Amino acid sequence: MIRTTNRIWALKPLAAYLFASAFCLPAPAGADPLTYLGPDRQAKLVEGAKAEGEVVFYSAMIVNQALRPVSEAFMKKYPFIKVNYWRAESAGIFTKLSAEVRANKVMADVVEGTGVGEAVIQAGFAQPYDTPLIQEIPEKYRDPNHIWTPTRRSFFGIGYNTKATATADLPKTYADLLDPRWKGRMAWHAGSASGADLFVTNLRMKWGEDAARAYLQKLAEQNVISLSGASARGLVDRVIAGELGLALNIFAHHPLISASKGAPVSSVLLDPVASTVGTMIVPKGARHPNAAMLLIDYILSREGQEILAEAGYFPSRTDVPTRADLAPITEALTRVSEQFVSPEALNKYTASSEEMIGALMAKKP
Amino acid sequence: MTIQVEDRSLVGAGGFFHRFEHWRVSPVVAILIAILLFAIVPPTIFLVNASFHETLPDGSPGAFTTRFYQQLMAGKLFLPSLINTIIYACGSALIAIVIGTTQALIVERTNAPGRKLAFLAAIISLGVPHILYTVAWLLLLGRSGPVNDLLASIFQRPQVLDVYSLWGMMLIEGVGFVPLTFLLMSSVLRSTDASFEEAAMMSGSSPFGAFMRISLRMAFPALAGLTLLIFVKAFESFEVPALVGLAGNVSVLTTMIYQSSRQAGAANYGEAGAYSVCLVIILLGLMFWQNQLSKNAKRYQTITGKGFRPRVIDLGIWRFPASALLVFLFLCVTVVPVLMLAFTSFQPFYGGVSLEAFTRLSLENYEALLKPGSFRDSILNTLTLGTMTATLVVPFTALCAWLVVRRASGAWMLDQIASVPLVFPAIILSVAFLDVFVNMSLPLYGTLLSVILASSVRYLPYGMRYAFAGAMQIHSDLEEAATISGANKVKIFFRILMPLLAATLVSSWLMIFLLSVQAVSLPLLLVGPGSEVMAVTLFELWQNGQVTELAAMGVLWIMLMTCVSITFHMLTRRHQLTV
Repeated sequence: MIRTTNRIWALKPLAAYLFASAFCLPAPAGADPLTYLGPDRQAKLVEGAKAEGEVVFYSAMIVNQALRPVSEAFMKKYPFIKVNYWRAESAGIFTKLSAEVRANKVMADVVEGTGVGEAVIQAGFAQPYDTPLIQEIPEKYRDPNHIWTPTRRSFFGIGYNTKATATADLPKTYADLLDPRWKGRMAWHAGSASGADLFVTNLRMKWGEDAARAYLQKLAEQNVISLSGASARGLVDRVIAGELGLALNIFAHHPLISASKGAPVSSVLLDPVASTVGTMIVPKGARHPNAAMLLIDYILSREGQEILAEAGYFPSRTDVPTRADLAPITEALTRVSEQFVSPEALNKYTASSEEMIGALMAKKP
Repeated sequence: MTIQVEDRSLVGAGGFFHRFEHWRVSPVVAILIAILLFAIVPPTIFLVNASFHETLPDGSPGAFTTRFYQQLMAGKLFLPSLINTIIYACGSALIAIVIGTTQALIVERTNAPGRKLAFLAAIISLGVPHILYTVAWLLLLGRSGPVNDLLASIFQRPQVLDVYSLWGMMLIEGVGFVPLTFLLMSSVLRSTDASFEEAAMMSGSSPFGAFMRISLRMAFPALAGLTLLIFVKAFESFEVPALVGLAGNVSVLTTMIYQSSRQAGAANYGEAGAYSVCLVIILLGLMFWQNQLSKNAKRYQTITGKGFRPRVIDLGIWRFPASALLVFLFLCVTVVPVLMLAFTSFQPFYGGVSLEAFTRLSLENYEALLKPGSFRDSILNTLTLGTMTATLVVPFTALCAWLVVRRASGAWMLDQIASVPLVFPAIILSVAFLDVFVNMSLPLYGTLLSVILASSVRYLPYGMRYAFAGAMQIHSDLEEAATISGANKVKIFFRILMPLLAATLVSSWLMIFLLSVQAVSLPLLLVGPGSEVMAVTLFELWQNGQVTELAAMGVLWIMLMTCVSITFHMLTRRHQLTV
């Protein structure tokens, strides 16, 4: 079934091209399924999607826990649309998409990920779209340019071993990280937009360049270990195993998931706490725009968000509760200020944050 | 007729082939070269282009630049990294060659009891994906691993061993190559005529002396080729430098490149490209040198028309220590890391090995993996990928290696070209092939076939090394005899060469199968919806940091690969091709 579809895609480059050119041009008002907001929107999308028959979804969500369940639930609701999903990390998604765009052979209809949105926007591959469901999302997570909608949120904190560190010794502020007791015992995830770079970006956005730089200079004296090649979650495992004292800027919910299985680990949020969103984007040249809009609507709907919440993500809708074991984070968030780092902000800051880290840390032998 | 025969015997093999290569082989070589170029030129162009152009935000090439080469040379980390890389690559190659060759010598040349089980051990190890292997070693030797715990209680101080160091990298990478070395060396030793060793021993040499002076020397060209292979693989390896080196602040070239290409936005392949181009040039130089070396290959040909008998040497009482050594190596190289994985797979989270950890054993990782649809869809794709890749590569490389060894005109180029994919970092090769397939008018993009073609190119050098080592030892007299009896080249290839090479080719097939199914970076971008393979799922677990689930899947993977290997073993044994 899937393979047949593959062949059909590939056999119709001409059709793809025609579609691509059709949607790159400004469509007549009200006719474009991506922007039409009239009362008969749903009926029109369903009608259009019936003709399209499929939607191709590139996503960075975990297959077993989120991508497959959400696709299956969508296909149950719209049995006439086949979801063909492909999973990779954000960098991989972007590489594949950019090759497709250059070859004028765009396969993806919806692209989802935490790091991919920025690159796609920067490259000019995205086209704006509208959905009434954006009203359900808190204002600060909305895109004024209508390029992306948020699928899920992430909060970043400090992971620590509950056996090795007494509650009284926990860092409560960023200044506490400069305590000599942590020297050489802290690590962050280098070379990833969500690791060390985000740690720096967060402080720069909140404190301003000078204060952030002054702080980082002191932090560099602490010999923070840069780990890469693995994932942010790998840092948590090392904290559990007692190899590291603190894991800086990890996904705050990862330690809690391990803790619910009995691991001696937890996370603490410092003020300001960085947050990011996973975003959905419709690439230019997408060939199933009606089905794409239905999929986006579904993921933003209460039903779709509940599936993501169940998978351990923080839903972008605030009317969908977070999974019970992650509640401590939601609760802790009420006590600290949240610094939302939007895809645009990541675009703006990440490269220079990485340079700052390089410059500061390179002084160390 | 009689005169002709005499004439040929007078002219000798060189003259015969000299005449032959001008009339019949050249077109074959030309066709093979054309096929190789067709497969290798597009990624090479991509690589060279990437190294000389800026990458624009949309991933397309921008202005011409030589800054990547300048940066590479000027970087203040370049020299220390280069030195680290060379130490690391040499150390890994040394460890792999010493252990692997020792194993192969015992298995092929002695009567140590139970020696054939070493093949099973090697095949199991080869079935363990590299990333899992590395993880297992880190779990074992890491700061909170059982080895350090044990040493700490003996020496009364914490953390005796620091695995996140250069020696740790060499050890893990080197040991990871032991199965490969062992399989290759044993295929070489198997086809070495034991009569030389017997002669040596009859002249008063000890078995050990015979090993050193005869067996090893006769295997020298193959050994040199293999050392080169491991050296280059370690040179461009990524998992171990990333997982072990970066964590211990040991910088090598690949991780330096990795860090520079992982900037925000579009991936920048310029520096990685420049690095790969340099590596390709170094490799071609080494290959050329090796080619000069094997000009004297005839000295090493031991399979002649005389009926060779690779015979075992009676070690006497020493056969038991030899077996014990094999068992010890088997434990170190295979059993302990696999057990470590198995242990981790039953843990809800990884928190070191302790008595307490044994109280929280659970099956939940396996339950999560065996849920409907989890990765069952990809099993068939995976098996197809491995089978097709190995079946494409093995006969092709057998033919190439034969032509190279027989010095068909222009054939030396075959070896060189076929070795080029060895030095492309997999991630670069994957991006290059993505570009090739997406722009192709044939509907290959996103299909399994595209992955098969790409991995055939990637594993070509391995098949080549294998076939080359085998073909080098076959004396041309058998072929000459066949020619005199009226056989044409096609017939000689299928009736003489293939049967003599069969055992080598069978192990080559299995090795390529096992390597291609566990490749991650290559299929990662080439697969589309519906053509996913298992290794990518494995990698996804790794990226998400689900170490315990990863271990569980690794255990299932090893079981599956062991089943495949044993089935294969039994099928081929029926035809006496068994390894």
